[in-house]
Amino acid sequence: MPIIVNLDVMLAKRKMKLKELSEKVGVSTVNLSILKQGKVKAIRFSTLNAICEVLNCRPGDILEYAEKSESEI
Amino acid sequence: MKYLKHTLALVFLIISTVFITRYNLNDNILKVFCLVTISLFIFNLIFRKSLALKKYFTSRYNVFTSKFRSEKVYDISAELMFEKIIEVINNSNFKLAGTESNNFSILATSSISFSSWGESLYINFDNSKDGCVMRFCSVTLFGVYSWGKNENNYHEILKQIDDSLTI
Repeated sequence: MPIIVNLDVMLAKRKMKLKELSEKVGVSTVNLSILKQGKVKAIRFSTLNAICEVLNCRPGDILEYAEKSESEI
Repeated sequence: MKYLKHTLALVFLIISTVFITRYNLNDNILKVFCLVTISLFIFNLIFRKSLALKKYFTSRYNVFTSKFRSEKVYDISAELMFEKIIEVINNSNFKLAGTESNNFSILATSSISFSSWGESLYINFDNSKDGCVMRFCSVTLFGVYSWGKNENNYHEILKQIDDSLTI
């Protein structure tokens, strides 16, 4: 999928553990792990809002659109 | 096709009942048959929540339980899916009866209702090249035909997993 999730990068920048984020956002660590791997089907605005609030970042810092290369097309 | 299976099962049930009553089978044979049936039912009822008896309940030679098996591939690791399924079951109508984290096995049960004695759901995960394979087996507590309950459990679990992947 061309959407890349940079949650692990933001967590490293904020020196925060996934468990800590999970407690602050109110989303289970399993769900955050799946999100980190980019395997979720969809993300709610409320979840994105909570993550951005805790990590003090913008949605674009967490989600990135990567165009497909010619070989992938 | 689904209704045809149900109709055939109903016809078989009626024919068996007519056969037993009309041909007046020997009383002793009927008593032994009833005793064995009731004993097996009680055994299944007592041990239905034991994951150690998975082989007994899911065995193809166990003709007293109806089974529905299916497999689905997920691109998520078995470790994560194992935890995910536990979360899904805890938020659903099914009850978590047992887990084995070393081989990613889960046993959940559906509640007893007017139409069913409840079914046992055996789920286990195996890591594969691209993620994991979920092996699902829904087993009736006691009954050679499930009247579609087993299939419904499978579709219910799949729906719950799909819904839970929206976070």
